[in-house]
Amino acid sequence: MNDYEAVIGLETHIQLNTTTKIFCACKADSWFDPPNTNICPVCTGMPGVLPVLNKAAVEKGVVLAAAMHAELRPLSYFDRKNYFYPDLPKGYQISQYDQSLAFGGYLDLPVPAANGQPAYIRKVSIHKLHLEEDAGKTKNAGHERLIDFNRCGVPLVEMVTGPDLRSPDEAAQYLIRLRQLLRWLGVSEADMEKGHLRCDANVSIRPRGATYLNPKTEIKNVNSIEAVRSAIEKEIERQIREVEAGHRIEAWTLEWDEEAGVLRKMRSKETEADYRYFREPDLLPIRLDDAWKADILKALPELPLVRRQRFMNAYGLPEYDADILTSERNLSDYFESAVKAYGSDPKRVSNYLMNDVLRMLNETSKTADRLRLTPAYLAEIIKLADAGTVNTSTAKSLLQKVEESGMAPGEIVAAEGLAKVSDDSAIRAVCLEVLAESPKEVESYKAGKVTLIGWFVGQVMKKMRGKADPTLARTILEELLA
Amino acid sequence: MSDSIDRDTFDHLVGLAALELDQQQADYLLRELNNQLKAIRELAAIPLDESVPASLHGVPYASAVSPELRADVWQPHPNPEEIIAQAPDTRDGYIVVPDIPHTTLE
Amino acid sequence: MELCDIPAYELSLLLRQRQISAEEVTRACLERIAAVDGRSGALDAGSLTPEDEQKVHAFITITRERALNQARTVDQKLAAGEDPGLLAGIPFTTKDIFSVRGTPSTAASRILANYTAPYTATPVARMEAAGAVMLGKVNLDEFTYGSSNESTAFQPAPRNPWNPAHVPGGSSGGSASSVAAGEAALSLGTDTAGSIRQPAAFCGVVGVKPTYGRVSRYGLIAFGSSLDCPGPVARNVVDAALMLQTIAGADPRDSTAAKVPVPDYLAQLEGGVKGLRIGLSPDYFRIAFPDPQTGEYREQSLPMDIESPVLRAAEVLASLGAEIVEDVPMPNTRYGIPAYFVISRVEAASNLHRYDGVKYGYRTRQPIDDLTKLYRQTRNEGFGLQPKLRILMGMYVSAAQYSAQYYQRALRVRTLIRRDFEQAFDRSGKHRLDALLTPTTPTTAFKMGAVYGDSVLMQYADQLTVPANHAGIPGLSLPGGLDADRLPVGIQLLGPDFSEDVLLRIGRAYELATETEDWRKVKPMVLR
Repeated sequence: MNDYEAVIGLETHIQLNTTTKIFCACKADSWFDPPNTNICPVCTGMPGVLPVLNKAAVEKGVVLAAAMHAELRPLSYFDRKNYFYPDLPKGYQISQYDQSLAFGGYLDLPVPAANGQPAYIRKVSIHKLHLEEDAGKTKNAGHERLIDFNRCGVPLVEMVTGPDLRSPDEAAQYLIRLRQLLRWLGVSEADMEKGHLRCDANVSIRPRGATYLNPKTEIKNVNSIEAVRSAIEKEIERQIREVEAGHRIEAWTLEWDEEAGVLRKMRSKETEADYRYFREPDLLPIRLDDAWKADILKALPELPLVRRQRFMNAYGLPEYDADILTSERNLSDYFESAVKAYGSDPKRVSNYLMNDVLRMLNETSKTADRLRLTPAYLAEIIKLADAGTVNTSTAKSLLQKVEESGMAPGEIVAAEGLAKVSDDSAIRAVCLEVLAESPKEVESYKAGKVTLIGWFVGQVMKKMRGKADPTLARTILEELLA
Repeated sequence: MSDSIDRDTFDHLVGLAALELDQQQADYLLRELNNQLKAIRELAAIPLDESVPASLHGVPYASAVSPELRADVWQPHPNPEEIIAQAPDTRDGYIVVPDIPHTTLE
Repeated sequence: MELCDIPAYELSLLLRQRQISAEEVTRACLERIAAVDGRSGALDAGSLTPEDEQKVHAFITITRERALNQARTVDQKLAAGEDPGLLAGIPFTTKDIFSVRGTPSTAASRILANYTAPYTATPVARMEAAGAVMLGKVNLDEFTYGSSNESTAFQPAPRNPWNPAHVPGGSSGGSASSVAAGEAALSLGTDTAGSIRQPAAFCGVVGVKPTYGRVSRYGLIAFGSSLDCPGPVARNVVDAALMLQTIAGADPRDSTAAKVPVPDYLAQLEGGVKGLRIGLSPDYFRIAFPDPQTGEYREQSLPMDIESPVLRAAEVLASLGAEIVEDVPMPNTRYGIPAYFVISRVEAASNLHRYDGVKYGYRTRQPIDDLTKLYRQTRNEGFGLQPKLRILMGMYVSAAQYSAQYYQRALRVRTLIRRDFEQAFDRSGKHRLDALLTPTTPTTAFKMGAVYGDSVLMQYADQLTVPANHAGIPGLSLPGGLDADRLPVGIQLLGPDFSEDVLLRIGRAYELATETEDWRKVKPMVLR
């Protein structure tokens, strides 16, 4: 491997999370539907039907293109890509060819440190970005294929990177970041298991340091982060073996069989020239005028990698915190609201989020925006702890109580009498009580086992049901035991 | 410009078109194609400068007369079973076709 | 006069006055069909009998019960005093290129012979919503690919009611012949290069190719998607206007159905032609075509029988106050067919991709274990020669390496053809035409078998009609007289985008002015 360098480009198909399909009013998501029930004459290519473009599909495509820093075309066209396949009922796919919605673009991909290598940024260029319709599904049954058209016509963005990735890990990182972005933008559910985000990988190798491109193979159907990693690894190994054995790499199309963990060669593949692309006469061009574009893009949020950097710069968060807090848009919004409400020390807010709120989210499978523990309540709880009104463990249990009840933290503290007892005489009385009840421990302490002070504090806290100020209790105990 | 379609090109087209022809049909079709190409060749002589764009439709579609895009509202088709009833072979709601063979790479 | 011979507008009045019932009208049409149509088109029909050669054979499917039920519904509405719709009780036929739910929708091809459409085309749905009664689906060239109707897989092919030894024209041959023979008052056809106007001319009826985008294509089984236009075939201009009124207008199911308001065609219909500028172009009085033997281009002027009805119509219109503008140059007319050979084939090849034996229609009966073989066998057995020819040509001229020299070039030539019309109709230009008056066809109906098989010569039958399809503009074909063999001659009016109202008005003025001429009294041979 050391003598060779992998050159990898990824072709991704992203299902947009519109309500309906791209060219008809069937619903886009039919994951749980029986085969061939979410269909109509249009998406099954009945003779005589015509496509009618879904406005929301264009809008989501525009948002994604803008987030990839791509240039949007004011006028873009649909084309027919002609080929025979049983999951393609019209015998052509309505896609965009030479005048697609957008062109250019890139993603600055942060690659984490690994195996002694420092972290770095890989600039991944976007070669193609266009709208198209999804095909149906086929599955094997002995010597037959079973076809389900439910998925036909689901809106897709096809996004193709340049040959910019250099390792299976980078390819996996790209998909992870892309998935994060898609969810962040709200344009796709990006659930790879459900095929919302699918990936084909173009792989070639070349001697390390070379700048030319060798013939590549295309691996179809690599539909999980792990599959991308393993399939590419396997293919790089195979290509190295072939080259070392003096064979040429042929431009095959391979299919990744995830269960068996093997690559299969697909039998035939038409070359690009044979698709005979031509303009789709049944659709008018998409006119993305300035007003519409501005209207769509006013909802474009700050992008995750930008926000991640800002969290590090503006809030002084460590990269680890910034990464986790920007893994999901709701969570990062939550964090910022909480920091704002709290007013200082973002790291303190981050600690609460990373330790406690994240666990709460995982346990309840809620997103941050659905929590009853609002950012303002979180800030209030941290402030209560800061002021010494409640001690740390009370503060943590308050998080849970607020989430369960939806009540304001202050109200709960008042209602349940959770405020810390700082009254010297009350604590002193309990301390005396504890010492009186524990003659053996007092003796040990006095004999020099001073570490027992923690045990005495614990006993006092227990009697006072956690409400005592532990620092004060300790001071009193030390004084009494002196 | 190739002057006419030769037999090899013709056979390639037939394959691409997912057709299969007997000799008599092939002879007729090849002859007619080449006759039509003679007519088509007249296009080559027409002077076309930069000012002549392609027209996808004859009628220009200004924004004012172009229909709006479809609103993203689900309207289920009332009788999907009538669609599948047209398929020559079905099983358990699926359409059935013969296999598309693959070969495993060793 | 029998009920089935009465034009739609008059039938409509009689029905509303309740002098006749929709059921009576429907039964009259069914009787006429029984008398003159002969056996309907079918696959593997065997050889023709002498009797077959005397019949019209317009139909593929007669929807008798459906029609009678529709008629009874109209009668109930009339009896109840409800509004039964603009076309209530008017019998019509539908070219079998339109999907109609629950009926075979065959495109006259073996590959769709067993296909029953699960939905209804918008123009048909609009006809039925307006109360019109569909008598059945009529024959056409296979997938509309032809100008004679002989290429249908459903034989016997339709014959010309004026002389059954001649073709009715195509591809809407069943539409034109059913209307001419009094089997129905109206028919819904389609026009991709002249497929409404040419058979209308051959059969002595009125045919309208509306502006592209005027009538929804939803449910029309596509040939050349950028050229196809559904439109009316009728016995006179009033009926054509009535039908266009019903089917025109935007459709949420067709992205190319323009958002242009539909005028009241009937209200303006008899407004006359005073002040209208009507042009004549020398480029429409000659045809250029490659010699079948040498392939050399020959230019030929049109026969007198074709030319004189047009000139006479110009005189009539002039006498009614129209201004006739001569010598309007339309230099790119001759490129219409070559450009059409390219554009329509590319679109057709793609549109025919879906017929693969998987989802609907014909699947080969050979035992097959490989999908590719299934495709090839099915398409080989299911398609006739004309679809195959179009697929192969479309494949050839859209291949990546040829697309620029053929397909892209043809699309640019289309621009030139369009510019000829834009200049002629330019309000501030030299000619400022409201319409161009031309012959519809270079010949009258030719004999069956005379041209069929020569795909080039057949295509040139559309030379005078195809420019309107390239340009997208509307065209109207009207009966203009009879030739020496007593076959109808058509005259054509072409106008700017969405000027159907003006074309219909000119057509109606001509029709009224010539109402009493002798040739109008001659009946088609099958009705004599």
